[in-house]
Amino acid sequence: MNTLSTQGQASQTLAWNMKLISHNELAGFGGVGEGINMQKTADGRRILWLAHESAPKNFTGVDVTDPKNPKVVVQTDLPHKDVRSNSLDVVGNIMAVAYQTKKWGLKPAGMDLFDISVPEKPKLISHFDASGPCSRGAHCVWFVDGEYVHLTSGSADFEPINEKDDQFYRIIDVRNPSKPTEVGRWWYPGTRKGDKEPPVPRHPKFDAGYRPHNTNIYPQRPDRAYIGYIDGGAVVLDISDKSNPKEVTRWRYSPPYNGFTHTVMPLFERGLWVVSDECVKDNGADWPKLAWVVDARVETNPVSIATLPLPPAENFTKRGGRFGAHNLHENLPVETSHRDENIVLGTFFNGGVRAYDLSNPYQPQEVAYYVPGAPKLSPAGAIQLNDVWWDDRGLVYTVDRFAGGLYILEMNL
Amino acid sequence: MANLILEPEARARDPLSGRIPVSVVTGFLGSGKTTLINKLLKRPDMNRVAVIVNEFGEQAIDNDLVQVSSEQMMLLNNGCLCCVLRGDLQETLRDLFVQRRTGEVIDFNRVVIETTGLADPAPVMQTLMTDTMLMAQYRLDCVVTLVDAINGLEQIETMSEPVKQAALADRIVITKSDLATEEDIGRLEQRLRELNPQVPIRRAVNGEIELAFLIDVGLRNTKAKLEEVERWMGEPEHGEHAHRHDERVKSFALRYTEPFSWNGFAQCLEVLTALRGPDLLRVKGLVNVADHKGPLVVQGVQHLFHPPVELEQWPSDDRSTRIVFITRGITKESVANLFSAVGAIVPASEP
Repeated sequence: MNTLSTQGQASQTLAWNMKLISHNELAGFGGVGEGINMQKTADGRRILWLAHESAPKNFTGVDVTDPKNPKVVVQTDLPHKDVRSNSLDVVGNIMAVAYQTKKWGLKPAGMDLFDISVPEKPKLISHFDASGPCSRGAHCVWFVDGEYVHLTSGSADFEPINEKDDQFYRIIDVRNPSKPTEVGRWWYPGTRKGDKEPPVPRHPKFDAGYRPHNTNIYPQRPDRAYIGYIDGGAVVLDISDKSNPKEVTRWRYSPPYNGFTHTVMPLFERGLWVVSDECVKDNGADWPKLAWVVDARVETNPVSIATLPLPPAENFTKRGGRFGAHNLHENLPVETSHRDENIVLGTFFNGGVRAYDLSNPYQPQEVAYYVPGAPKLSPAGAIQLNDVWWDDRGLVYTVDRFAGGLYILEMNL
Repeated sequence: MANLILEPEARARDPLSGRIPVSVVTGFLGSGKTTLINKLLKRPDMNRVAVIVNEFGEQAIDNDLVQVSSEQMMLLNNGCLCCVLRGDLQETLRDLFVQRRTGEVIDFNRVVIETTGLADPAPVMQTLMTDTMLMAQYRLDCVVTLVDAINGLEQIETMSEPVKQAALADRIVITKSDLATEEDIGRLEQRLRELNPQVPIRRAVNGEIELAFLIDVGLRNTKAKLEEVERWMGEPEHGEHAHRHDERVKSFALRYTEPFSWNGFAQCLEVLTALRGPDLLRVKGLVNVADHKGPLVVQGVQHLFHPPVELEQWPSDDRSTRIVFITRGITKESVANLFSAVGAIVPASEP
């Protein structure tokens, strides 16, 4: 490493055009997964809801009405250590939380719906059970319209050919929140026992499975589901008939790349997608894990035209933990979420949170970043920023995977 | 089908924010530039600064500050970077940004350029205001001119460089003030006010000066508030001064309540720079242009102007155009006449 650089020193905070305005370690449980959403309560408060990375905590609600002074208002526990929540979404006063178990057959596996009209006292409305002999339950929820939850989940009746392919895309009708009901599903052809298609090819080096990760649906195209399908690449489905989703396109770039497609975020006015991978190995073992800029003007022929430029891997892969792409701010179509077709925010584990200007998508430009110094007691020895939320006030909320908790930032863009 | 590349006007990014601020430290030989920079670099809150010096002289940087050094660069104990000007300034600034991007040097968040004592700061400022590649990454924050309390007055009376350094400054620091009498300093201050009536002046003893006085002078984004605009424009004029008698440097402000047409205003500046460019030392202003929501920020040094930047909104109810000029021999009347003659103003209400 060059001696005139300090990028590789995990203790150093690096910042450009982002300023920390407050930090909250979440009562000592600072490990947060990839569920962030913001509620505006009837009495005018803003509650930021965070799903934890792993047990013992389930989710935490933080009052961020005054972002300089965030206050934990509620923090809940999981029933046991072999389940994690990881993902949540909020519409109005209803919150959907995912539950995924470490092994098949365990419970609770699936999804809870909570009434959070009183944020201090979340009230369980219903549990959607997705447990089963070959199911770990749900990893990820997408809930933006108050009517349907788009779920990455296994189920009791699903037996995969390969155990890594145990989750698929499920559409759950929650218009009656006390009785969530599956109305449609789609799985990658060749992953379920009994499929007539040949079994899918495994990634030769990093077999992470064929499962959906994020399943994104937007009001601009209510008939499309944009899915990061892990080793299956980016998948777009026609869901105009929810009971019968049909494949529109798939864009698979691994191998030669290292798999684990995480998020497919369309920028509708631009004819672009931003597709992020997830880095899942420490110390650069699965580098490069990238965020791709894709020309999707012809949706059946996506073409990658750039990747979001990252700082030098030779410095960051030695900084501790993971370094590479992960979650994006997904322009959630809800009131409390900032939506932007030009500026994209993502978290890159020890690479921090970074903002990119896509005005010229052939040459994305980094315009801001914040890399917190290593949080105390982090097993990675470095920050591992996991997820990001950009609120309608322009503030940026980002969370550490292990220990650091919540960082609230102001951008100068 | 969507057009992948956005037109400039559709781009979201603020034309000012996100640029790395650049401070230019100028001052005549022996005015204490090195001492001031050394003091600044010892401050805990100045820990990610890249300093560009002309050479690593004997006393360029205190040895006890240096952690690692190469031929042209050194990393200081507190995390700052110091490098020698190579080739021209453009090249040095571009290289620094690339090295920052590739992680070869610290991710500095401010640049301080130390000019040579004999330097005319104008070319440095012009470079930062007109080189489009540099403007994408940097912005001129502040020109700080140091004036020696003992010799400053004589230098101003006998040489041209110190006059220009003072006239172009956003901030003036009188150094070695502990070595001069109050009377001498008073006379120097008065002389400096004649050359540059808007400039805030402070005294430093042994290089000690309040950091806030020297940084964040330029506008940081187009959401600038009133106090930020006033900070950049400088102190309001203190009435009609003796400085009107100065033969060489004149300073005045123009104010118009009616909006300009952009073409008319641009034409005025073109005529002015064509006729008197070299004598137009510094121009700063907010311009009310018809059909624009916020004021246009203009600034120029001699014949070169920064592309105008529109603020999101007016910082106060006062929507009049105000422009401050520091010139070499150009009078207020002649500029005002030119503005009327070119007919830029929708109708002129003043002066």
